Amino acid sequence: MSRKLFVLALVTMLLGAMVPGASFAQDEQMIRYFNFSSDPDHVEDLQAIVDAFEAENPTIKVEVSSAPYADYFTLLQADFAGGDPPDVFELNYENFVSYAANDVLLDVSSYVSADAPYYPRALAAFQYDGKQLALPETFSTVLLFYNKDLFDQAGIEYPTAEWTWDDAMEAAKAIRALGDDIWGIYSPIQFWEFYKKAAQNNCAFFNEDMTESTINSPECVAALETMVSFVTEDVMPDEIELGGVANEELFAQGKLGMVVIGTWMFAAFQEVPFAWDIQLEPGMAQKGHHFFSNGVAVAKDTEYPEAAAAFAQFLTASETAATVRVDTGWELPALDQPEYFQSYLEQTPPDNREAVFQALESPVVPPVIERQTEMQDALTSVLSAVALGELDPQTALDTAKDQIDSLLE
Amino acid sequence: MTLASTQVNRTLRQSKQIAAGILQYAALGLLALVMLIPFVWMLSTSLKTTQYVLSATPQFIPDPLTIDSYKTLFDLMPMDRMMINSIVVAVVGTLGQILFSAMAAYAFARMTWRGQNAVFLLYLITMMIPSQVTLIPLFILMRQLGWVNSYQGLILPGLFSAFGTFLLRQSFLSLPRDLEEAAFMDGANHFTIFWRIILPLSKPALATLSVLSFMQYWNSYLWPLFVAREDLFMTLPVGLAKLQGGPRALTQWNVVMAGAVITVLPMLIVYLFAQKWFIRSVTLSGIKG
Amino acid sequence: MAGNRGIHKWKWVIFFLSPSLIGLLVFMIGPILYSLRLTFFEWNLISDAHYIGLDNFRELYHDTDFHQAFKHTLTYIALYTPSVMVLALATALLLNRPLRGIAFFRAATFVPVVSSWVVVSLMWRWIFNPRFGLLNYGLVQIGITGPNWLFDPDSALYALIIAGVWKDIGFIAVMFLAGLQSISDTYYEAARIDGAKVWQQLRFITLPMLTPTTFFALIISLINSFQVFEQAWLMPEDFARSGTSVVVEQIVNNAFRYNRMGYAAAMSWVLFAVIFVVTLVQLVLQKRWVHYES
Repeated sequence: MSRKLFVLALVTMLLGAMVPGASFAQDEQMIRYFNFSSDPDHVEDLQAIVDAFEAENPTIKVEVSSAPYADYFTLLQADFAGGDPPDVFELNYENFVSYAANDVLLDVSSYVSADAPYYPRALAAFQYDGKQLALPETFSTVLLFYNKDLFDQAGIEYPTAEWTWDDAMEAAKAIRALGDDIWGIYSPIQFWEFYKKAAQNNCAFFNEDMTESTINSPECVAALETMVSFVTEDVMPDEIELGGVANEELFAQGKLGMVVIGTWMFAAFQEVPFAWDIQLEPGMAQKGHHFFSNGVAVAKDTEYPEAAAAFAQFLTASETAATVRVDTGWELPALDQPEYFQSYLEQTPPDNREAVFQALESPVVPPVIERQTEMQDALTSVLSAVALGELDPQTALDTAKDQIDSLLE
Repeated sequence: MTLASTQVNRTLRQSKQIAAGILQYAALGLLALVMLIPFVWMLSTSLKTTQYVLSATPQFIPDPLTIDSYKTLFDLMPMDRMMINSIVVAVVGTLGQILFSAMAAYAFARMTWRGQNAVFLLYLITMMIPSQVTLIPLFILMRQLGWVNSYQGLILPGLFSAFGTFLLRQSFLSLPRDLEEAAFMDGANHFTIFWRIILPLSKPALATLSVLSFMQYWNSYLWPLFVAREDLFMTLPVGLAKLQGGPRALTQWNVVMAGAVITVLPMLIVYLFAQKWFIRSVTLSGIKG
Repeated sequence: MAGNRGIHKWKWVIFFLSPSLIGLLVFMIGPILYSLRLTFFEWNLISDAHYIGLDNFRELYHDTDFHQAFKHTLTYIALYTPSVMVLALATALLLNRPLRGIAFFRAATFVPVVSSWVVVSLMWRWIFNPRFGLLNYGLVQIGITGPNWLFDPDSALYALIIAGVWKDIGFIAVMFLAGLQSISDTYYEAARIDGAKVWQQLRFITLPMLTPTTFFALIISLINSFQVFEQAWLMPEDFARSGTSVVVEQIVNNAFRYNRMGYAAAMSWVLFAVIFVVTLVQLVLQKRWVHYES
């Protein structure tokens, strides 16, 4: 009788031991990676990186899932709310602060090799409270694109790296004079462009200890006034004159002399019927270029911190990952390794691809507070009124300051 | 009346009928035109070649015409898997919704019991809270039940929409009160009456509900987005949304539109099938009003 | 009614009602009650919620953005509801005729209903374009300069209403069609024998017999239009949004972009209270004008 029970118990134990591990090898670790940047064109490229990682780390399995950017953060939040967030996930810089502040990210500094070749500034961007809470994955920037044919037609010199907005205004006027439907320049009057132009004029949105907004200080007002002057001098179309045609489309049609737009547009402009190139954006008191960056973070309570951090590092700093990204025209890794970028620099147009990396010397990150989206929305509506000519810059920024101050509480 | 004047009267009547017919067709034609413009535009954009159609501007005649965007679509997305998932979810969901809604509607409309108005009000109440706000609690429930990435997670929560019950209740209420009397006297029970009398007489409403219910499931975006994270369970709208790159990426609008065209077609097929049920049997006198 | 007595009856009530009711309670009432609880908390989804009592409601009381969104929603409802009901009825009457090829026209009316707002909004943005769009072009032909529609906070809401009506006509018409189909021919025959004209048949037979359907369509339209969202989210130009914000848009903003789930829940419940009162009033009034078959 007791022998039967013993056998029964043994069998049960063996079965029990088998069942949970049924689909895994003995010490296989499964981590989940959630992202938005691979859809829709680079799903296979991401898989290539994952496969390479799994080959180097046979005990780790990576399960990839993705969501469209527009809904990605909603889903990520829902996962956190449901108590089961992914182990590794993408974050862009704007959202990083909120996750960091809520103490849900793992400090990866102890897991990442000291010689990983990240751009120091990129690495610093994803630190919070002295901890490394995400790793920079990719970066992109915004530059001045210009139509060489229009410049030739107007008989003026191409933009140089030392240009100021005054130089740009002169060129824009010359090009505008070429025809009624030809515009000189376009740089939208919105949140992202404004904080960058403000930085170019040595103006910050906040004071040192982030207790008050300084957005209505004279330098910021002057920056905004410069932006608006292009519309009032009629070298830049306002929203109604654009009439819903995207500014990139206007440029692609050859009707816009200069446009301030992102490096992700290189592919779209490949087939345009005119010669074009890029240059550093004109500056004011100094130069300033957008530093947009996506990072990869690890959830604080992940079951496998080492595996997750190893994957995060592989995804962001390995040669495999970097080469895949550059060669497939995906995004640029935030790494200080010029040899990875060889093939990128050799493609044309545009010729002046070095400008992309020169821009990294004057990076401007978005001003971020915890109630980020509300601040963005408030500024968007204020700046829209300015763009429509309904508000003057000083009043607009005074209003904005009050709204932002109330968000800082 | 002379023969001549009756002939004149008949000709007059006929020409009035012809004029009325023309007017009706004209009105219908205008209606169809207004309603179909976006579909025509979707179709024409999907047949354009430009790899990066920068903004979705409607040029009605694509030049040159190509089905490249459809090929790209099938390359980029697991269309067959998504189509199967959408169909399974929509078909099972619709059948379930019709059955449960019809049963509940019967209880509200053909039976009298204490508290029925209060319970019906409860049903109505569920339609008055925006679903965006119940999304997170429902999702948390799915996590607890382990239903994320499953068919039951996709189908079950939407099955109990109060809309269907409301629609069928109205329809059942409009049937004559004494319809069941004879049947009861013959010894029939509620279920027989429900199945053999009430349902067959409610074909238009049932057809309407099946179309609307199918549409709710077919076009549903937000819920499957939350619940179907793996490619294995992804439905069409969610998969196709991935074609629209983020703010710092490019969208191939022609491919997006190809997806939109493919998504609309099954819905129209369902509609065409269901709307056959709208045609009433011709009455004995043979004249339609 | 026979078969409606005693325990026996309750057995049947339970049989017919429970699948639907149980599902309703678990998947709809449950989350709804959870959201009610959330109104007393501040929750950003990423970390734990913390209790703040009635503060959300206090804040709502002073929230001018919320008030403005409510005003816009009410304007939307006031113009959308009569338009869609009248046009849908006219369409249903037209589609009810036994003409050849009527199936095609019925399907055509339904295409907008079935299309997604994501695609449809792109189309409408082009039609409403103040410079290149179809609508202003057409208006200019008859001598009117159209407004800037989606580019102007003052006119953008009307664009949303027009697009909304267009999209939903087929939806409501399908319901009216079902209602029309269930009116027995015998009424019309009797009327014809009595010499009644077409418009008299409409007024004394069709409309009264249609009242259950009309009631239903009205309730559904109201409940839906209080929650109008997608076109307000997708269609207006960013700088015109001060004229088009609607309540559910504010809810979505707060729930998913501002990370204020509790505040969003509070907004939903205020909206719910309004919808509830309006619906209740409709339900009470229905005795006055809705004729159920007796």
